[in-house]
Amino acid sequence: MRTRTLHSMGLAAAVALTLSFSLAGCSGGGSPSNSSSASGTTSGSASTGDQITLTIGTFNNFGYDAPTATMQGADLYSKYMELHPNIKIEPTVAALSDDARSAFTTAIGAGSGAYDIQAVDIDWMPFIMDNADKLVDQKASLAANDYLPWKTQQATTPDGKVLGGGTDIGPEGICYRADLLDKAGIPSDRDSVAAWLGGANATWDSYFAAGAEYVQKSGGMPWFDSAAATFQGMINQVQYSWVDADNNIIASTNDATKALYDQLTTAASDGKQSAGLKEWSDDWNAAFKATDNTAFATMLCPAWIVNNIKNNAGADFKGWDIADVFPGGGGNWGGSFLVIPSQGKNIEAAKDLVAWLTAPEQQAAVFTAASNFPSSPKAEAASGVADKVEPFLNNAPIGKIFTDRAKAVSVVPYKGSAYFDIQTKMADALNRVDVDKSMTPADSYTQWLADVKALS
Amino acid sequence: MKGTFVARNEAATRVQTSDLDARLQRRAKWSRLDIRLSPYLYISPFYIVFAIVGLFPLLYTAYIATRKWNSIAGDTGTAICGATCGDANATSWFGNFDWVLHQPDFWVALRNTFAIFLISTVPQIIAAILIAHVLDSNLRAKTFWRMGVLLPYVVAPMAAAIIFSQVFSDNMGIINSLFNAVGLPKVAWHANPLASWIAIASIVDFRWTGYNTLILLAAMQAIPHELNEAAEVDGAGRWRQLVSITIPQLRPTLIFVIITSTIGGLQIFDEPQMFSSAGSYGGSSQQFLTVTQFLWRTGFVSTNNSNMGRAAAVAWILFLIIVAMAVVNFLLTSRISSGDARASRRAQKKGGAR
Repeated sequence: MRTRTLHSMGLAAAVALTLSFSLAGCSGGGSPSNSSSASGTTSGSASTGDQITLTIGTFNNFGYDAPTATMQGADLYSKYMELHPNIKIEPTVAALSDDARSAFTTAIGAGSGAYDIQAVDIDWMPFIMDNADKLVDQKASLAANDYLPWKTQQATTPDGKVLGGGTDIGPEGICYRADLLDKAGIPSDRDSVAAWLGGANATWDSYFAAGAEYVQKSGGMPWFDSAAATFQGMINQVQYSWVDADNNIIASTNDATKALYDQLTTAASDGKQSAGLKEWSDDWNAAFKATDNTAFATMLCPAWIVNNIKNNAGADFKGWDIADVFPGGGGNWGGSFLVIPSQGKNIEAAKDLVAWLTAPEQQAAVFTAASNFPSSPKAEAASGVADKVEPFLNNAPIGKIFTDRAKAVSVVPYKGSAYFDIQTKMADALNRVDVDKSMTPADSYTQWLADVKALS
Repeated sequence: MKGTFVARNEAATRVQTSDLDARLQRRAKWSRLDIRLSPYLYISPFYIVFAIVGLFPLLYTAYIATRKWNSIAGDTGTAICGATCGDANATSWFGNFDWVLHQPDFWVALRNTFAIFLISTVPQIIAAILIAHVLDSNLRAKTFWRMGVLLPYVVAPMAAAIIFSQVFSDNMGIINSLFNAVGLPKVAWHANPLASWIAIASIVDFRWTGYNTLILLAAMQAIPHELNEAAEVDGAGRWRQLVSITIPQLRPTLIFVIITSTIGGLQIFDEPQMFSSAGSYGGSSQQFLTVTQFLWRTGFVSTNNSNMGRAAAVAWILFLIIVAMAVVNFLLTSRISSGDARASRRAQKKGGAR
């Protein structure tokens, strides 16, 4: 009996050890850190002309890589390496902005593991501004480039540092499936659609009214892809949505955003206008060329999403088109910056590369090859941009359309550092109603209020 | 004179012997020490490495759990529970634990984790025993079948999870397409909690059933054939042999398999993470959020509110839960074996009385 107890105690101890080991392993493996090779690997400085490896992390499609069948690109990295034989660029592309963001914040927090250059979406730019001391001021190196004033403003700290080189902006039009409108007996040419949605005075009311008409004429086909995606267009027109100018959280008391939420969820659930697809999910990807009841007729269309539509539908797919119209005035969705973490080893070389990648010529080249719309007025005027025609979108003059759409942008929303978390919870709230259909709009909003409170 | 000489000589001898004695004693002491200590010395590299990469992080995590620790700003004082517990600024070393226990998401995550663990582990171990039993019999091309069951284990967990999350897509996934083809309604794999647990459990089972099968198979082959042969002579069928001989003989291995599965099951992360597809990890109403995902979300994801202290508190709570589970497992399994031993002893006693 005694040996038995001893034996059990030994086993228990072994078990405890195994446990603590596996748990320790877990706490290390749980974080999605960058690969250890992420930081600059070669020693030596730019001045000596030694070989330098620059790592750059982007997401979705920045159009810098060599083009492939499913990724449009202007092949800028090879061009730069040809111009600078001592530079080797190692790009890493995350599928989603979210993935890149969590890896980047972890690396910044850890003080190592960040890429030499990181692409940052406007939605998480406030985080960058709050941590200005962890990033390199690029004011001097970017001085020769021209950016839209509000674009530079978004990356400028109160004391005048410029933390990021602006890449693209996301002026929004409405992309639509001409083939589906035809089937429903609705005129499907660009001008008729723009006029039908409300023309220059389009509002969200007129957009959802057109949606109601389409749902009825098409026999119940969905009008837009996802409530959460559509809400992005709405919230980006509100100057102070979740946070006021003094960084107070006003999310739970803001009547304007509540009204937008109600308007959208009414159209999505009661009006059955939403396809109920979660943005970026496999189902969403598959619906771009669908003809069944997941095939949505319209979607908000920032310039950069044209790449995704093309890749999801297939370049040969006929039907997608774009109208020069947007509800509620113009809108900007997304657009990014290239920032340089000060933990990097090749800061000077990185500054040169950012300045070059975001110079007007390269911005123009990116728009020509992919569809990321330039944040540089000079690039917007360049040939190949203003006159660009997109064969995939039924030969739409997207250069002209997106230039018009950029001009229509009248509000530059303020997003304090609390914005991102609250917006993520809002997307969850909308997905509960729209995708999972597990809650009523009112219940989901109440849940969201609790979620916002728990963020404190 | 003589006497003195003898005495002197004796003294010299005594000195010599005592010297030798001391040396021998010292050597004996050393060799005793050697016998007693060297085993510890030989196994010490493991424990030194363990102390550095296991024990230290464990204890340091306990320290962090009592602090307000932002990944960017670092240590910013004693933990606070925040508005969730009432007073927004009250500090206490228990604040992070308090905060975690006040989060409805944490409890949902705990529920999901246990549900996924049970749905995946129970069928998995039963299947592993049955498959191992089949593989243990005389099959043609034994090695082929044995390697075959291990094949899914070679697939990287992320790859398996990505493929399965497409297989389980709500609209275009192959399973729902099949359901549709035979006239069954589509299952909302991502929206319905139970459906999402089953989907995630199937990813886990895909990878781990074969692994556990091989471990059990190895243990089965160590069972003396005489036992089975004797049972066969007594007229026991294959099923009876499995239940009455193989499984009882497998107990130590089963304990190991069950405990490792428990640890793995309660720490599940990759599968639900990849199953989320496109952000909002764990589902938009946390229907398949697991505890480790909750930990990750608390410590790393939020830009503004990431708090390593709270994440560390989650890690410690999870650690304690797993220890408790392991102890329960251990007591249960050892009770089954000793209960059996008691039964046989009772049978012997009865025999003696007769």
